[in-house]
Amino acid sequence: MNTITLNREELARRKRIRTLFTVLRFLLILIFFVIFLFPVYWIAVGAFKVEGEFYHYPPIFWPSHFDFQNFVRGLTTFGGAEALVSSLIVALTNTVLVIAFGVLLAYSMGRFKVGGDNMSFFVLSLLFAPPVIATMPLFIIWKTLKMLDTYPVLFLSYILINMPFAVWIMKGFFEDIPHGIENAALLDGYSRFHAFRKYVLPLAVPGIAVTALFVFIFSWNEYLFALIFTRSQASTLPITLAGMTGGHEIPWGEISALSLIAILPGVILTLFFQKYLVRGLTFGAVKG
Amino acid sequence: MSSAVQAQGTNVLTLERSQKRFARLVALPGMIVLVLLVVGPLAYMFFNSFFVKTLATPVPPRFAWFENYGNLFTDGRFWNAFLNTMIIMVIGIPVQSFLALVLALLLNKRFPGSRLIVALFLIPVMITPVVAGFEWKIILDNRFGPLNYVLSFFGVTPLAWLAKPVLAMISILIMDTWQWTPFVMVVLLAGLAAIPKQVYEASSVDGSSGRETLWRVTMPLLRPMFTLVILLRIIFIFKIFDPVQILTGGGPGVSTETLSVLTYIMGFKSFNVGMSSAIAVVQLVIITVIAKIFIGTVMNRREGKES
Repeated sequence: MNTITLNREELARRKRIRTLFTVLRFLLILIFFVIFLFPVYWIAVGAFKVEGEFYHYPPIFWPSHFDFQNFVRGLTTFGGAEALVSSLIVALTNTVLVIAFGVLLAYSMGRFKVGGDNMSFFVLSLLFAPPVIATMPLFIIWKTLKMLDTYPVLFLSYILINMPFAVWIMKGFFEDIPHGIENAALLDGYSRFHAFRKYVLPLAVPGIAVTALFVFIFSWNEYLFALIFTRSQASTLPITLAGMTGGHEIPWGEISALSLIAILPGVILTLFFQKYLVRGLTFGAVKG
Repeated sequence: MSSAVQAQGTNVLTLERSQKRFARLVALPGMIVLVLLVVGPLAYMFFNSFFVKTLATPVPPRFAWFENYGNLFTDGRFWNAFLNTMIIMVIGIPVQSFLALVLALLLNKRFPGSRLIVALFLIPVMITPVVAGFEWKIILDNRFGPLNYVLSFFGVTPLAWLAKPVLAMISILIMDTWQWTPFVMVVLLAGLAAIPKQVYEASSVDGSSGRETLWRVTMPLLRPMFTLVILLRIIFIFKIFDPVQILTGGGPGVSTETLSVLTYIMGFKSFNVGMSSAIAVVQLVIITVIAKIFIGTVMNRREGKES
């Protein structure tokens, strides 16, 4: 009898401790959550503030009313709309080029180990290299060709940043596809290219699509090349954003509104393709 | 019999040969683009690094052997940028790893909505870097920023975050930690998910306490993930440019100038082609070594596991 009641007390005690730990755990998660999401919240709220509310102390954590003027002025007066169009043209063209030239190279590397380990090392080194090192040679080349401040300069230069990434990631996706697939087609007398197009490619489409989304976002977010290679005609959204701080009164409301638009593609990728985000950012080392 | 085997042998051989030919053929367009647009400029950069050459003056470039490299390695500003980059690594990566580990352990056990919570945590990772820079500029503003406001409740007098050298470096570290801790966390979460349940069961049968299990079981099994994530963070920190350029522009003075920022300044503020090429080559060499290490540790281990 005695031991049973003791056990019961002991169990109750353990249960209390466990509840305490659960409460503590969620409290900690909440604290982390508030800290890490606060800057994102601050952009979102800032986009709807009226100008004076940024220069107010104490800071305004929740605006009295939501104002859409920031979006209107940001897109018109501050040239956000043109920048948006430039960003879309550059990012989309670059994505198409990178995927078109990358997909067969990735297939060849993933399936037939073209170039072997040296090839992998070569692509990885290019992938890891800081983009800033290529700015000077590219600048001289584009300047000599009189191409500065045009769309092609950007979508061609971004190949340098995105192609090693796309090839490396797609190579991983091709490696995941079972090896027997083409052989069946070859035995049926189809050409190797036909086997690739009709049997392998359909299976690789999800991987290619996710790679394309990554490439699009990298181009969309890019700042350094655009800063150096454009002046006014081909300015992308990050450049227009950065240029808005030129005057002595910084238009934080309009900056926040355009920022909110700028981060949309990245947010969509994180929220809906989380599994692939890990794979993409670890360069395929973690399959997620 | 033997002739049949022989026939099959030659068949396999021709098949292999045709496969190799096909593999090379389809790799060709991509390779041409890589060489033309990636290797070409890098080779040109390497070439330029041996010349005294500027963008501004029409003076013809002069071949100067290793003069640029010599000047670089005796330049205090180069070592300052190198040191700053190292500081971000040496302080940032351990802090981020620790926070990420705590967060990963907290989020490891699933609960309703945990997937969404993890996804929301990851927003900073893919955010436009320029926007990240601006956001922290607003938050750290010494007069109207919310951070100084919150700190005022703890009796901290308003700090001029971006005006003082040490505080500016701390600002960069805060921004970097905010942006990349979630990334480290999600990699560690993947590592935790890969640990079989039986391992924990065995450990609890042995009568190990929670803390013992963490140090004796979880941490050693997470080690490959830590290796991976630390290498990746080193690579990313070498690349860091946009948010630093927006938040501090390398200042005040040169106190937050990183290697990438200095490369940009040398090239496009001082117009010194030779020096900026030399510093670029130095970075490329460092990154190549890291790529070698990456292949040696991360890639080979993964292949070893698969076979």
